[in-house]
Amino acid sequence: MADNVTQTFQEDCLDILRQQTEGRTVNRRAFLSTLAVLGVSPALFRFTPAHAQAKELVIVNWGGDAVTAMNAAWAEPFNKGSAVKALIDGGGPSSAKIKAMVESGKVTWDAVDRNLIAALELGRQNLIEKIDYSIVDKSKVRPEHAGEWGLGSYIYSNVLAYEKGAFGGRTPKTWADFYNLKDFPGKRTMRKHIDGQLETALLADGVAPDKLYPLDVKRALDKIKSIKKDVIFWATGAESQQVFRDKEVTMGSVFNTRAIVAKRESKGAVDFHYNQASAWVGAWLVPKGNPAGKEVFKFMASAQDPAGQVELFKVMGNGPVNPAAAAMVPADLRPLDPGSPENYALQIPADPEWYAANSATVLNQYLEAIS
Amino acid sequence: MTADMDARTRRVYLVLLLAPLFLLAFLYLYPLSRVLWLSVTVPTPGFGNFERLFTSSGIQNVIWTTLRICVFTTALALLIGYAVAYAALHLRGWRGELLLFFVLLSFWLSVLIRAFAWLTLLQSRGLINTWLMNVGIIDAPLTLIRNEFGVVLGMVHYMIPYAALPLYANMKGIDTRLVPAARGLGASPVQAFLKVYLPMSLPGLISAGILTFIFSLGFYVTPALLGGGKTIMISEYIAVQINETLNWGLGSMLATSLLLAIFALLAVLSFFVDLRKVFGVK
Repeated sequence: MADNVTQTFQEDCLDILRQQTEGRTVNRRAFLSTLAVLGVSPALFRFTPAHAQAKELVIVNWGGDAVTAMNAAWAEPFNKGSAVKALIDGGGPSSAKIKAMVESGKVTWDAVDRNLIAALELGRQNLIEKIDYSIVDKSKVRPEHAGEWGLGSYIYSNVLAYEKGAFGGRTPKTWADFYNLKDFPGKRTMRKHIDGQLETALLADGVAPDKLYPLDVKRALDKIKSIKKDVIFWATGAESQQVFRDKEVTMGSVFNTRAIVAKRESKGAVDFHYNQASAWVGAWLVPKGNPAGKEVFKFMASAQDPAGQVELFKVMGNGPVNPAAAAMVPADLRPLDPGSPENYALQIPADPEWYAANSATVLNQYLEAIS
Repeated sequence: MTADMDARTRRVYLVLLLAPLFLLAFLYLYPLSRVLWLSVTVPTPGFGNFERLFTSSGIQNVIWTTLRICVFTTALALLIGYAVAYAALHLRGWRGELLLFFVLLSFWLSVLIRAFAWLTLLQSRGLINTWLMNVGIIDAPLTLIRNEFGVVLGMVHYMIPYAALPLYANMKGIDTRLVPAARGLGASPVQAFLKVYLPMSLPGLISAGILTFIFSLGFYVTPALLGGGKTIMISEYIAVQINETLNWGLGSMLATSLLLAIFALLAVLSFFVDLRKVFGVK
């Protein structure tokens, strides 16, 4: 995955988990048994006619330890009370794969771990099913997380992380400080993808948070170009952490999950906050003509239960999407939870509509601007 | 052997050839033709995607970056590869073999490992910069990596075996008595090299150059890791179009163009050099 230029948030979560497994944070036996499951399941599903599998729900995420984590948080609780068993498969449900699968007419996935932008993009191409809100509960997510084609499953953020000791006791509080190389010296790291990055430039440039969308692309790119010489662009979350470790950078625009790991690893020398962060949401999508039909929404409804979401947060750092879960997060972890009411209020939710309409064009413009 | 037997043996060979042909057709030619087809049909039929080669400054930028890096890489790899091959051939005994062994050793190392090794060496708190600062030669770390320089460095390192090995094979066939002969007839060492040795090693240089340049065009991991995210070459750009923006028409157009450009390059070169020799058919 290190060579993947277009690593997604979910893929990075796996890398984090993999690191933790080497330190034995995740139960080793569970990890090994999952590997066994992983070895069997893809073959099982690829060679069996799609519609013969009515007794199983194939829930697809990005593989590795996320299979273990989501299995414990969501599949096991669901399977206890259901005749149809949910099975987590690590097939890596990229839009390209979903598109190819639906267009070929051989759909083997019931639900996939993606986001609300993909929901709009794929929904408008008629490649995914609408969410059935008569089965899942709209009131268990914030309004912006209940999409027509996608249902929020966890929260993550693009945050400002910084090296505490690099600025003579001062703390960078806003993105304006991030772009201020004079008072806050040192290199920066930003993601080699637009998600949450253009926002940093506009907020630094004085755009009001409620006037952020639609993003002023030209203004944002000009601002980024002004510091590009001093920016290392990260493609994988591991890279974003590595440049802090190597003290290549003093500040970064990174995933909250990576910032949490970096903070823990550096014993607080690297810190972060949720001020002006960009809040994102992972979402369940259902490929058009999924084998289990409506049954999959029962799984989604079950995954709305706060307890499972808190479990997932503890293991993976992905914030609970159900606002009711925040109170169940252990007190010492609450400051790290992107979904807590206090932290969520500091952030600006990313606008999936804007991204769905502009992502493809602006991503190319961004790559052009930084290269 | 009778003429009849000969024909039968030939038939057996032809039948044996069918299996790989079949595999190639279905696993390679068919998907490839699909890619070509996509480039003229998605999103709308026609040559709209190809028009963007001439209208989009972003795409031109990526192509220009790719060409620039590939030309530098090829030139440097040939220069160093030539020196290495020459030395390996002319060093006495085991020294030459040791040199070749080191070339092969780097040939076997994964591209990822090499990229990370360069990072460790060259980053601002890496071995080189730390040493230079400790000795007092520089005050602030040099930017040796995460820019185009780093990319070319990493690619040249990767490409040296591809340049050195064909050159070595070619030089082995050169009659070593010709240079002393030229010297005996009054040529200076430089003259003897330029007028006698270099022209004879030219076929080797051309074939090594073709190999290196074509390989360089497809580089993906090295620029992504050593370029600091700021050097985007064509294969990475294609990957973004296929996986991210789902602009399969644009992605396959670029892939097609790359393929056609390589064919065109080979066609031009075939006027100057026997391509069957370059690829070891003859």
